[in-house]
Formats: sequence, structure tokens, C-alpha cells
Amino acid sequence: MAAYILRRFVSTIAVMAMVGIFIFLLLRLARGDPAAMIAGRNAAPQLIASIREHLGLNDPMPVQFMRWVRDMLGGDFGTSIFAGRPVLDLISQRLEPTLSLSILTMILSVSVGVSFGILAAWRSGGLLDRLLAAFSAVGYSVPVFVIGYFLIYFFAIRTHWLPVQGYIPLNQGLGPWFVHLILPTVALGLGYIAFIARVTRASMLEVLSEDYMRTAAAKGASSYAMLFHHALKNAGVPILTVIGISFAYLIGGVVLTETVFNIPGIGRLVVDAINNRDYPIIQSVLILTSGLYVLINLTVDLAYTLIDPRIRY
Amino acid sequence: MVMGDLSTFDPIVTTATMTGNHGLAIYDMLFSLDSKLIPQPQMVGKWAVSDDKKTYTFELRDGLGWHDGTPVTAKDCVASICRWGEVPSGGKLIVERASDISAQDDKTLIISLREPMGLLIEILAGAVTPVLYIMREKDANLAATEQVTANIGSGPFKFNHALAKPGASFTYDRNEKYVPRHEPTDGFAGGKVVNVDRVIWENITDQQTAVAALQSGEVDFHLLPPADLYPAIESDTNLALQVLNKAGDVYFMRMNCLQKPFDNVKARQAMLHLIDQEAFMRTSFPPEYTRTITSFFGNQTPYTNDENTGWYKKGGDPEKAKQLFKEAGYAGEKVVILQRTDWAEAGNCAQLLAVTLRKIGVNAELAPGDSASNGARRRNKGSVENDGWSIFITSESDYERSTTLSNPTLTANGEQGWWGWPQSDEYEALRAKWADVETLEERQALAREMQRIQWDIAGTVLLGSVLSPIARRKTLTGLIEMPSLTAMWNMQKVPA
Repeated sequence: MAAYILRRFVSTIAVMAMVGIFIFLLLRLARGDPAAMIAGRNAAPQLIASIREHLGLNDPMPVQFMRWVRDMLGGDFGTSIFAGRPVLDLISQRLEPTLSLSILTMILSVSVGVSFGILAAWRSGGLLDRLLAAFSAVGYSVPVFVIGYFLIYFFAIRTHWLPVQGYIPLNQGLGPWFVHLILPTVALGLGYIAFIARVTRASMLEVLSEDYMRTAAAKGASSYAMLFHHALKNAGVPILTVIGISFAYLIGGVVLTETVFNIPGIGRLVVDAINNRDYPIIQSVLILTSGLYVLINLTVDLAYTLIDPRIRY
Repeated sequence: MVMGDLSTFDPIVTTATMTGNHGLAIYDMLFSLDSKLIPQPQMVGKWAVSDDKKTYTFELRDGLGWHDGTPVTAKDCVASICRWGEVPSGGKLIVERASDISAQDDKTLIISLREPMGLLIEILAGAVTPVLYIMREKDANLAATEQVTANIGSGPFKFNHALAKPGASFTYDRNEKYVPRHEPTDGFAGGKVVNVDRVIWENITDQQTAVAALQSGEVDFHLLPPADLYPAIESDTNLALQVLNKAGDVYFMRMNCLQKPFDNVKARQAMLHLIDQEAFMRTSFPPEYTRTITSFFGNQTPYTNDENTGWYKKGGDPEKAKQLFKEAGYAGEKVVILQRTDWAEAGNCAQLLAVTLRKIGVNAELAPGDSASNGARRRNKGSVENDGWSIFITSESDYERSTTLSNPTLTANGEQGWWGWPQSDEYEALRAKWADVETLEERQALAREMQRIQWDIAGTVLLGSVLSPIARRKTLTGLIEMPSLTAMWNMQKVPA
């Protein structure tokens, strides 16, 4: 197991290095000029040229790349071209909203999605199954911004029950923090609930048709015991895989929700950085996100051993 | 307040309006424009000019202090003028013509000129970014290309570093030690009295959400609501639209005068005749907020005039445009229009322009791109086959079109000048005289001559003028109505 984990860590570094090179080249080859963005749209060309020079953007690409690698190896992820602050400061400032939203969404999605999936499998072909199938189809196909606007209209503008937008840090109170995250969590979570419910249902149905389930039923096992002790545990590996992928996707995929609900998270940080061509932020966030992706996948792989004793590394 | 993204802090290093607004909050100015756009002393208490009109002496008024607690000195002002003097052409002109800019003592600074310059005070008071905001000497000693991020000024608001979330929100606290002038607020001049303890700038990128936040009372002010949401705002009894910039903004296009087909003046003149301004403005704005415009110097400036405006015809004149393209020897060359994908209004104008050109047989093609990619492509002086461009669309405030010495969009100095690179030595000679003439009447006469030349060389073509209202809750009052920048003092929240 230890050797496996070590190998995976080494491969993580290799993946991050590949991502780094790819991102660096992509950004430099894509059209865009941070100096023009700093100077503003009606700036004199001479001002833009001198800002480019000052930022070192006229240096040859290999020189810029080596400078970036050298700084990264020294633990310096660079300074935002625009904000003038260390990139890690900006990322850490944006991490809490994104993690809060992602974790709450996963709690909601897993608890509701797995429950719906189990219920649908248990009442397969019945009215409840069809209702849940319809819910899943809608939840999976309606874009998050449409759901977001509906929620804002009904729960914020019409009833004033919940705030339209914004994020309150956890250290300013659990209540305000939670209240501001309800609508974004529901908007973002609906798609994941639908996805997890469908996978759980399919996985449960497969297990429920196994011989040992008939044996359990013949031995007089209760529905509860059959569903939760026998079926769910054996259906767990694909469900866990989906949850892992969903969580990893969430970390980098919350940008639309953050935009609709004005949550200052990592997603918006990256989008703004891309619009401004703030290279240090884009490079650092993507490198760190790729590392996080790999680590989440590793965690999921290791969690398989807890569910299925046959899996060994 | 929903204000937009403040991506750059330093108001000298950028022309971004949002940075200009940030500067207006935390810095102060030697002179400021009043509501009639006449310069009035702001940080300056007393000032005088010598009989030969070459030496200006400014004495700072009492009570000026930096947010870090130290007093403002004349040395700070000197350093600020010199740094600003590296960027806008008006500032450069002052520094070039000055034989001495120095501090006589802690409160007195002197600008000595080699020759008289009638517009010196107007240039110092200009409200076009980069504005002459006074910074601490140690900040102003940085190169003009290196950003000042200390955000320590002597203005009516203090920047709250602890609560700053770049890209998301910025917080400004009332500067309790600020001593406003005794005169009542008048435009950017007079007493800057702050009636609120704190102002938070939100960058809500989703416009639907921004207006919803305004409707629900989570924010009080939206700087630039999109026109398609005006009806929703107008139908809400708690909200109001208010035009702060009464002269509006001017939309215009620039053509690449170095490449075919617009290297031929006839092709550029064809564009003057082609444009139906009302149609272009209708692509994005309700008619009641738009106006046509024929003066190169804006609709509502002291230099607005009607010289050489015979090209204007309601609805445009496509036949005349077609004829001029023919006279220009147009042979089907590709015309590439840079289309902004992150600026809907400019993007809409670009689409209509492409359709309008195709209707008269011009091979027009749109090149969609965001601000950064279009900004990079604009630098390319080459042909469209080599990734160059033919036309781009932008805007600026009507007021900016009167700032002949500071505004790069008003130049015609060829490849040394602004994107599009139109050239007229005759125009530039007149522009050089602008700083030397003494009276408004003389400058107005110059403006007529300059406009005659501009509409002959047609490096710029106007697309129309628009009044962009802000949206506010009716409980927010006292907003200052001025062009270009948005001030946060004087406003107050009143009970519903």
C-alpha cells in the first residue's frame, strides 16, 4: 500500500509538471496582452509598450518559463500582475467560499442523491421510480444558471426569505454563512443529485438482481437490511467513484454558480484572471487544481479498500 | 454599490475608468472641475501667476494629511506632477515646457514655464484618466510603469486593505480626518463631505443578479445597468434610473489607415456617409437615451461645432458610400472588424457594421475576441492576411472629446499616434497651438479648423452618442452628476 501511495505521489508531480508546461505554452500562444489590459482600452500605445517591458513580457518565452519554474520551485507562485499581491494570498482568500460551496453541495447531493437512488431501485418501475426519474431528467438537463435565477426570483426577490447574492465568511457566524449558501448549494446540487441518484439506482438494481439477494430475501431479511446491509455496500464502488469524480469536478466547475450568486471563489478568480491575462494566477490555480484532482482520485482509490475487501494495492 | 472590477489600483498607470473612480475616492487633486467643467482650487488654498504668465505659485490649504497620518507637503505634489507628467500628453506637455517644478517650502510649490501656457490649470484639473491625483512622494517616485499599490491618499475615503478582495469587492471607509473645503459641493469641486461611514464596491459580474440585488435592497447603486434591464428597474417603485453624465458617451470606430482599403481616404470618407447613427444606437440602447452626433469634439463641450458636417444624413447614405468605395478603387479586399465578445454594446455595433458593409458589396468579416485579445491584435499594423485588422469600435465620454491635449484618440500623428494611425500634419500643427492660445474663443476657432480636417481625413467615424443612466435605490440621494468619473462623497442614505 505504501509503495502504491508513493508511486501515485510521484505520478502526481509528473502530471502537475505536464499541466504546467501545457498551460504556460497555451497562455503565451493565445492572443492577449496583460499590458493593454492594465493600461485600459483608450491608452496610448507608448504606455502599453513600456508596461510590457516593465513586466518582462518582451523577454523570450524560454526565459519567462525558466523564471516561472525557478520561482515555483522556491515556493513562490508569483504575484498577480493586476492586484500586485502574492498569488497564494489571493487563492487562499478565494478557497474558503469555493470549498464551502463544494462541500455543502456534496453533502446535499450525496445524502439526497443516494437516498433517491435507493428509493427508485427499491420501487423500480413504480410511480415513485418514475417521479424520481423525471426529477433526475430535469435536474440533470436544466442549466445551473436557469435554476439559479428561478431560485433568486422566488426565494429572494418575491419572498425575501434568502439573500440574492454574496458570501459571508464562516468566522462571521455560522448562520449568515449558511443562509448565503442555501440557494447556490441547491442550484448547484440539483444536477449532482440527479447524477448520483441515476448511478445509485442502476448500481442498486444490478446488485438487487444478484442470487445472494434472493437468498437473503428467502432467509427472511427485512427490506431495510437487504437494501442497506447487503445491496448498498456491494453497489458502493461505482457510487463512490461517481462521488469522487463529482467532487473533483466541483472544485473546478463551480464558476457558473459563483458568477450567478456573486460568490468570490476560485472559479471567478480564474475567469477574471483569464479575461485580464493575469498569467501568474491562471498558471498557479490550474497547477494546484490539477494536483487536487489527482489527490481526490487517489483518496477515492484508497477508499475502495474500505468498501470492498477484495481490492488490494 | 455595484461598480465593476477594479483590476488596477494605480490611477496613473491606466486609463481604466474604475481606477479613476478609485483614485477619486482615496486621493485628492490640486484643482477640480466644477459642474460647469471650470477648474476650481481643491488642495490648493491660494495661488497666483506671475505677470509674465510663466510662473505659477500654489500654496496648499491647511488640514491636508495622508491616511497614514503624515502631512501632505509640496514635495509630494512635485513628485506626483512629475510622475503623471510621464503619461498623458497634457501632463507631458507641462513637464516638457517647465523649466522648474519644485517645492518652495512645505506648503508651496512652483511651476515655472519657459513660455506661457494658458491651459495649465485646465490640464491640472482634467478629469480624464490618468488624472493628476496627488500621491505620497515615496509612491510617486516609482516609475510610471510600476504600479503603486499602497493605496494611501489624502482624499475623503480610506482604502480598507484588510477587507479588499481583488476581483470581488473593495471597501472604502470614511476618512474622519479629512478636512473638506468650506464651499458647497459643486461637481468634483467644493467641499467633499462624506455622509456615510463605509462604501463597499461589489463586482457582481452577472447583470441579472446585480439588478436582483438592487431590487432586494442588498445594494443601493448600480453603475452601469444593461439597457435591456431598464424596464425592470423602471417598474420597481423603489428604484430609479439617473443620468450622472449628462453629456453622455460617444461610440466611434477607428479604421486602419495603413492598410487596404482604408489607406485610401475615399474609403474612410465612405464610412462617414454609410453610418446610420440611429440604427447603430438602437442595437443596444432605448431611443430616449441616444442622440446623433456630428461634431468631432463631442455634443456638449465648449468646442462642439458644425464645421464640415455635410456628410451627415439621417439614415445614412449607402449609395454615396458605395460610390466613394468605387472611387477608392475598392477591389473586394477583406475588411476585418474586431468584435468585442465581452462588451455587448460594442459587439452589437460591430455586427450591424458588418451587415451594413456587406449590403454595399464590401467583403466584411467579423473577428470576435475579448478585450485582451482585441487589445493585442490592435497593435498589429500589418494587413488582415497577416493577422491585422481593419476596424474596431470603442467609446469614450463626451467630455473626453474636448481634452484635445490629453486624449490620444484625438491625435492624427500617424504611426506615432493612437490605433488606426491617421496622419495629418496640418491637424497636428493646429493641435500644437492649442496650449498656446489664451482664450476660449481662440480655441473654439482652432476646433473648427481641426474638425474640418478630421472630417476630411476621416480617421474616426462616429456611431452615435448615448446617455448611460446609473440605477439606484430611491433611498440613496445626493449623487454628483459629472462626466467621466463617479464620486462617492455627498451621497447619503435617507429613510424610505
